[in-house]
Amino acid sequence: MSKQYLTLHTVDQAHPAEIFSLAPTPNALISASGSSHLLIHSTTTSPTFPLTQSLSNAHRLGCHHITTARGGPGNTFVSVGFGGDTKVWHRNPETDQWALYWTLPTPDNKKEKGDVWAVALSADEGYLAATTSDGRIHVWDVLRKAKIQTYETGAGAGGGGGQGSVGTGSFAMAVDLSRDGKFTASGHENGGVYVFNNDAGRMVYSLSGLAKPIRAVAFSPGCKRLAAAGNAGIIAIYDMQHGEHVANLSATGTRPAWITSIDWNDTGEYLLSGSLHGKVRVWDVARGVCVATHSETESALWCVRWLPKSEKTLAPGMGKGEMFVAAGANRSLTFYREATGS
Amino acid sequence: MYFCPIRNQYLHPPSQPTVTNSHERPSPPLEQLSPVRASSTRVPHNIVIVPQSHSSDDALSKIEALFETIVDAISVGSPITIPYRRSTNAQVFDPTASASNPRDGRHMDSVRFPGRNPQELRRFEALFRIIEISHEALLSGTLVTKRNIYYQNMELFRSQSVVDEMVDNLAFTLGVGRNDLNIVATAKGLVAGQVELIMRGGSKINCAESSDSATFRTLSASRYYTVSRAGSGILVTVRLCDLFYSNNADNYTQGKGYPDLATRKFLATIHSVRPRLLMFALVDFDPHGISVLRTYQYSSQRLDHEERTKVFGLRWLGIRSSDVLSNTVMTQDCSANSQGSQSSQDLSSQESIAYSVDGECIVRQRPRSRRTKSHPSDYTAPLNERDREKAVSVLRDICGTTRLDATEREHKLELQRMLMLNIKAEIQAVDDFGDITNWLDERLLEHSRDVNSH
Repeated sequence: MSKQYLTLHTVDQAHPAEIFSLAPTPNALISASGSSHLLIHSTTTSPTFPLTQSLSNAHRLGCHHITTARGGPGNTFVSVGFGGDTKVWHRNPETDQWALYWTLPTPDNKKEKGDVWAVALSADEGYLAATTSDGRIHVWDVLRKAKIQTYETGAGAGGGGGQGSVGTGSFAMAVDLSRDGKFTASGHENGGVYVFNNDAGRMVYSLSGLAKPIRAVAFSPGCKRLAAAGNAGIIAIYDMQHGEHVANLSATGTRPAWITSIDWNDTGEYLLSGSLHGKVRVWDVARGVCVATHSETESALWCVRWLPKSEKTLAPGMGKGEMFVAAGANRSLTFYREATGS
Repeated sequence: MYFCPIRNQYLHPPSQPTVTNSHERPSPPLEQLSPVRASSTRVPHNIVIVPQSHSSDDALSKIEALFETIVDAISVGSPITIPYRRSTNAQVFDPTASASNPRDGRHMDSVRFPGRNPQELRRFEALFRIIEISHEALLSGTLVTKRNIYYQNMELFRSQSVVDEMVDNLAFTLGVGRNDLNIVATAKGLVAGQVELIMRGGSKINCAESSDSATFRTLSASRYYTVSRAGSGILVTVRLCDLFYSNNADNYTQGKGYPDLATRKFLATIHSVRPRLLMFALVDFDPHGISVLRTYQYSSQRLDHEERTKVFGLRWLGIRSSDVLSNTVMTQDCSANSQGSQSSQDLSSQESIAYSVDGECIVRQRPRSRRTKSHPSDYTAPLNERDREKAVSVLRDICGTTRLDATEREHKLELQRMLMLNIKAEIQAVDDFGDITNWLDERLLEHSRDVNSH
């Protein structure tokens, strides 16, 4: 049984530069690009996805990562610029307008690099995980504006919050927090995937299997699975109970393209992936097969995201099927919806 | 055939260089290239004379006059004295200074033989050796690099800086420019192609014949600049200076294919006398590659005051992310950006190439074929921390400008992609088992068509 998705709408040239990151909230999609501003499009009011707010001069060198809390209230998002500048934004629920809440401090200590690459927000929007080029993951308490934990992945790491191995790890290109708040996972340039137990403050799993740079890691909504993907071109699925590598999702045929982005749908049945070759795929995780492929663009996709399920339909007669969005080098936002009635 | 070093001399105002673009005649007879001929009424249209501000004094006659006094001194058995003025700060050989000249900040001094002490003896020997080398170079019409002088007798000179300073002081003492002594700074840039340079002092450099050990030897050895389907051209490469590299680990970035002032002035001069000559740069796909490119195009901040160092017309031949990623990915969006159909390419981090072709050349048949490298990971390397820091600093530099032009927007985009992909690639990534000529042909023709269609 294959699933069918239709192109619902494309916001052409949404950004003046390549779109590097997307983050959905229950009613909006935030997008970031190589230009300095962030855009917010409404995802619940109209099938044309109108622009509702533009945050100008957010990141002078452009922005490469933004994140929201999956399954969260949608009042916070975090953006990271190419200069390493990391900003936390809050939404005023009454006006539905976003404003800067806090800029993460850069460390005084010169030895401790201030760079931030990937970020993830906990489901309650209270904690932020941020990775560095030397393989560490810092966890911040967003409300108290304080760093509460640092995970090391370098040589001799594993004790958690360790000293003595600072900055010896491989570039942490991806990070995620499980919705139950229990785990942090990071994906690295050297192909390493690490899982940390947040309560114990230490590494619980060091997962091998892909051996090539990891560009995306994602916990399933039920927190029982972790998906990781990257230059290997396949998606590895790990079980979080015992840290076992339980499945690989891969397309048959030609040598697969680098996967830049993955995302679980709300039920945890499907995974969405985007690649450098411009292909969006939907995978049935239980059966381990690709159920839909879209290639509207041949240029690189940098980010693909499911939109949270909405209670009401976007337009009369449209049904309540799931939607997802893809963006990348063509600077446009392309929205897809599940074909109903089949 | 070979590359020859760009001579600083060519670039300094007192010289009388001419640029001869002889692409129509692969082996131009030498007599057509002499300065005399060039200034006569029968100037062939392809000889360009770079205007000069003033002419130089005759260093040769001054040196020979000096030799005469030495011979005279020997014949009567009196001590030999070589006049020598040096700067106040330079106390390399003899810390005891004599009368100073407050006007120019240099001490009036002389070096005598036999010396008053062992230091002076060595100083005499070193100075005499330099004068001798310069005299020889002037007589033969060749050029000597300062580094070359140092290696003539490392024990005598002890360090490169001694030579550098002595040469400068000697020129100062004789009242000539350093280049008048036919002594030049060690060249970083190499040039090969259908061009002949006529230097001040009359020495000629035929860039199709001169030799040097060159990076991209295969390109010069195969005479790519004559056989390119894009037309004949001039190839200029910048190579890493090994000594500088190892001695200044902290400043290593400076050596990574960054063009020196002489190279940039050379290109800028060519551009100013032949504006229709298209110029292309081929650099690595890494932060230094783009920084090298920007040094050509926008000069460096430190040398902002220098004139004629910016090569505005320089086009970025590559390599870009699209060249690296595959032949299909990203090409679509490349054409969407303002730079049109340019595609990417890369260069070794130690080298950069500038290639110019005559804008009037006839574009020949479209070349066939593409390489079949299938996957980016086959020929890319991950960025290291320093690369990422460098990329961010170049990005910062670009974004510091209030209004980005199309070229800078493209630099920015490629740097962002580089960081996102976390990869870099050298020029070799686009070659075909070591042969880059097909790739170059394709790209040069694309660009030529681009220009001709406008």
